[in-house]
Amino acid sequence: MFQNTKCECGHQNPVGTVLCESCGKPLIEELLTDENAPLEMRYDGVARRSQKSNPHIVDRIWNFFSSVKIAVYLIVITLLGAALGTIFQQESTLINLTERSEFAAYYKEEHGTLGVIYHALGLSRTYESWWFITLLVMIGTSLVVCSLDRVLPLYRALSKQQIRKHLQFITRQQVVYSGDMQGDNEAWITEFGKQLKRKHYRIWQEDGALLAEKNRFSRWGPYINHIGLIIFLLAVLGRGIPAWHMDQYLALYEGETRQIPGTNYYVKNEKFTVDYYPENELANNQKGTKVVKLYETKARLFECTDVCDDPIQEPVLTEVKQHDIRVNSAMSYKGLKLYQNSFQERVRFISVHPTLMDVATGKPIGSFDLLMDDPIEKYEVGPYTLKLNDYYPDFGLDEQNRPMTKTREPNNPAFVFRIQGPNLQAKGEIYIYFPMPSEKSKFYQKLLNDSFKQRGDSQGVFSIQVENPIVDGKMNNIKYSEYTTYLNIRMDKAMPYIWVGAAISMIGLIMGFYWQHRRIWLRIDEGKLSLGGHTNKNSFGLRADVAWALGRTGIEVLPKSLDNRRNVR
Amino acid sequence: MSWWLDFSSNAFIVAFYLYCASFICFAIAVGGKRWSNRKPEDHTNRWGKIGFAAAVIGWIAHLTFFFTRWYGGGHIPTSNMYEFMTFLGMAIMFAFIVVHLIYRNMLLGAFALPLVIIIIAYASVFPSEVQPLIPALNNYWLKIHVTTAATGEAFFAVGFAAALMQLIRVVDFTRTDKAGKRAQFWTEFSLFVIIVLIGFLVAVFGFRGAGYESAFKQEVVKIDDNGVATSEIKEVKYSLPPIVAPYNSETVSFQSFLGMKEPAFESPSWLNGVNAGRKLNTVIWSVISGLVLYGVLRLIARKKLTAVINPHLADIDPEDLEEISYRAIAIGFPIFTLGALIFAMIWAEIAWSRFWGWDPKEVWALVTFLFYSAYLHLRLSRGWQGTRSAWLAVIGFLVVMFTLVGVNLVIAGLHSYAGV
Ligand code: HEM
Repeated sequence: MFQNTKCECGHQNPVGTVLCESCGKPLIEELLTDENAPLEMRYDGVARRSQKSNPHIVDRIWNFFSSVKIAVYLIVITLLGAALGTIFQQESTLINLTERSEFAAYYKEEHGTLGVIYHALGLSRTYESWWFITLLVMIGTSLVVCSLDRVLPLYRALSKQQIRKHLQFITRQQVVYSGDMQGDNEAWITEFGKQLKRKHYRIWQEDGALLAEKNRFSRWGPYINHIGLIIFLLAVLGRGIPAWHMDQYLALYEGETRQIPGTNYYVKNEKFTVDYYPENELANNQKGTKVVKLYETKARLFECTDVCDDPIQEPVLTEVKQHDIRVNSAMSYKGLKLYQNSFQERVRFISVHPTLMDVATGKPIGSFDLLMDDPIEKYEVGPYTLKLNDYYPDFGLDEQNRPMTKTREPNNPAFVFRIQGPNLQAKGEIYIYFPMPSEKSKFYQKLLNDSFKQRGDSQGVFSIQVENPIVDGKMNNIKYSEYTTYLNIRMDKAMPYIWVGAAISMIGLIMGFYWQHRRIWLRIDEGKLSLGGHTNKNSFGLRADVAWALGRTGIEVLPKSLDNRRNVR
Repeated sequence: MSWWLDFSSNAFIVAFYLYCASFICFAIAVGGKRWSNRKPEDHTNRWGKIGFAAAVIGWIAHLTFFFTRWYGGGHIPTSNMYEFMTFLGMAIMFAFIVVHLIYRNMLLGAFALPLVIIIIAYASVFPSEVQPLIPALNNYWLKIHVTTAATGEAFFAVGFAAALMQLIRVVDFTRTDKAGKRAQFWTEFSLFVIIVLIGFLVAVFGFRGAGYESAFKQEVVKIDDNGVATSEIKEVKYSLPPIVAPYNSETVSFQSFLGMKEPAFESPSWLNGVNAGRKLNTVIWSVISGLVLYGVLRLIARKKLTAVINPHLADIDPEDLEEISYRAIAIGFPIFTLGALIFAMIWAEIAWSRFWGWDPKEVWALVTFLFYSAYLHLRLSRGWQGTRSAWLAVIGFLVVMFTLVGVNLVIAGLHSYAGV
């Protein structure tokens, strides 16, 4: 279709222009036929970048992404996809399953046939799926293209506005007024402008014509919002960069220090506390249940400063931070964050402080410290030396009734010592010691020590035991951990960008929604006043402004009567 | 302390009755235009003003409820379903007052107030006692996030009220073509859904007032990692007569109702858990009492309910309603984005160590956000205005309500409060 893009006012417009960039006269045929229909003022009728006369493949892709229709489709499909993902639990929330077959079984068992279909379609991993991420990327692309496509032409149009507009442009706005004028037209226009100034409009005047404008900046709101969204989406994708992101769990019993895998840091759990609300603070329907008031891990963070990678030597640690980690209060150090995740109530020995006794006299010879994790090899007690021959953290017997350890956890530790010293055989005497005060371990201790005696490995002159194990109802000479705390350790270098993106987006939204761009044009031709007003939203407010200013200059009108859309319909 | 809580409950009751009074005034403003010899505009203005005054005083009572409960309970009352829904009602009143002050449309109250009344009545279905905060909620972001999110949603609610009014206003009962019939049907259907909600409230409060209770138990067998089967007996109390029993359950006690001595049927096996049966039962009761209520109203009116209301709206411009609806949503959108997404992300980062975890509640907040951004784009760039945009505003509010209530009832996630 041939289109004459040169306007009668002499301005040469780009192809695709709807309203002359300069005087505002409608340029395309359809708009010229119905002289009363309100004008489509989107982007002030300028040509968008994508409206080229002969599209190339790049232009076609550009056109695709620049279409708001496509954007709405993308948004709606993303919305539906996201909603589908909430029908059943996502795989990522089932932390104790790992294998694909386990997941399949879970969905089948929990949700039957529907579950099988759900899992088979991949909806159980919606948010990690290629199609969902592709949708997000497409929205991002669309955001960039769409904004670029419109913001530059719009900027151009708004920065070179003509004051005297084409009559049709004025009379076909959404807010219009026309009437006959008497007296001094220029003086009236100046007065009208003054009134609008009091409503914070900026005024431009040319003989017999006026342009009033306010809050133009609000037009940039949507674009700033979109820029924020783009930054946000890029940051979300950036979290996929492995070095930018760490997420792991660490279990620590009280007193334990462990390295955070993949870092130079070590954490120590000094103490874990869980507090419940007392009965009188609970609501009636909660009485008798346990409601947690507080979870807290008293933690210390260390950094390794020397001999960090030597498997033999102990690393040198320097404390860098101390914090009581609670839900809602993470430990944070140089981008590393340690969160309280969960806990387990599980008693575990840390150390005991047993005494070597002389069986004959019943007198203590001396005592020593015995650690459950990595006990040292040799202990000096009085005149004697105890050498640790064997250690079974979780004592048990194998099929041939030989001692062995079931796990590496000190659930039922047993220590085998060789004791050397005055008045003993040169090779020393062998004793086994079970710190756990249970019937079963005491039984094994006696059984095994008796058999050592029979074999001649010992004379049974010593016994090892904890003195006064209970004082005032509390364990004495025994250190143990009641709870194991689970910390979630995270690092997320994309976070600052996420917040920046969100903040920019928010600024854009506020600009775009709480201010409105309003413009009023008027011209007086041979005593006839024509006034048109446009706003991108809230025409109610614009009508009120116009009616107010007209009223102050002697023309009483009801705001509603200015509504052109209604007058036509 | 408990003196404050008692005072607070009384303030709540005062607010509730004032809202009802305000609704009646607005209804008179809409419906009674031709009662007296006064000019219809004067009538509307007068009753609208009285209604608005009652609404504002009611809102002050509601605020009093909120702050005294805060003081008496020791933490901001937004931490369980009762507290959240009462807060939402308060926020909708705030949004309504703001929009009313901008547009001074005397009739908006006739649609906004019943919405608030239904919401706070719904809140009262939940246990209203003050419960101590669990550690995850114990943070000042609780205050900031919940209050802003609810305020955003409240503006969507006002947008919904105006949109529904607009739809009823423009229904054309003379049309017999397909599109016209469809518009008539769906507008009526929207009213029906609201009546089902009222039916739910009537059923719950009716049977609660009568002290109705039945109970069932269900044995749940769980197989742990070591292959050991443990069975657990779960009991569930029904406060509505059980039409549906939980799947595979035994009756513990059954109070007969209208000659009904046992449940009519058992809920299907795919409805997991002992509470699913109870929820299904509640839905069935809501629909039944909604149908009864609707039937009675239809018998009295002898025409469609939309046709009853429609003539009373004749002198309002649908364009005004459309503008109010759009404006309310436009005011709400940034507040919602800030509260339900950005503040939510900040808090999630602090409490749960990740700003986003695809938890169902989070996802639905995102769905709401995307839905309203689609609405805005369609309006702005594709010229979807008038009834199309009004329907989107109605559906949008359904999405909001699903996010707030539906997710808790249907999908359990980290956010789940105790649900009814
Ligand atoms: C989830 C993603 C998006 C959100 C939350 C969003 C949000 C918004 C908002 C709030 C507005 C202002 C609407 C108004 O003033 O009534 C807007 C305008 C707009 N959006 Fe988006 N948008 C998104 C994606 C997109 C995409 C992908 C496109 C690309 C086609 C797009 C194109 C536009 C355009 C062209 C405008 C009108 C700008 C103007 O007033 O001149 N948006 N968007």
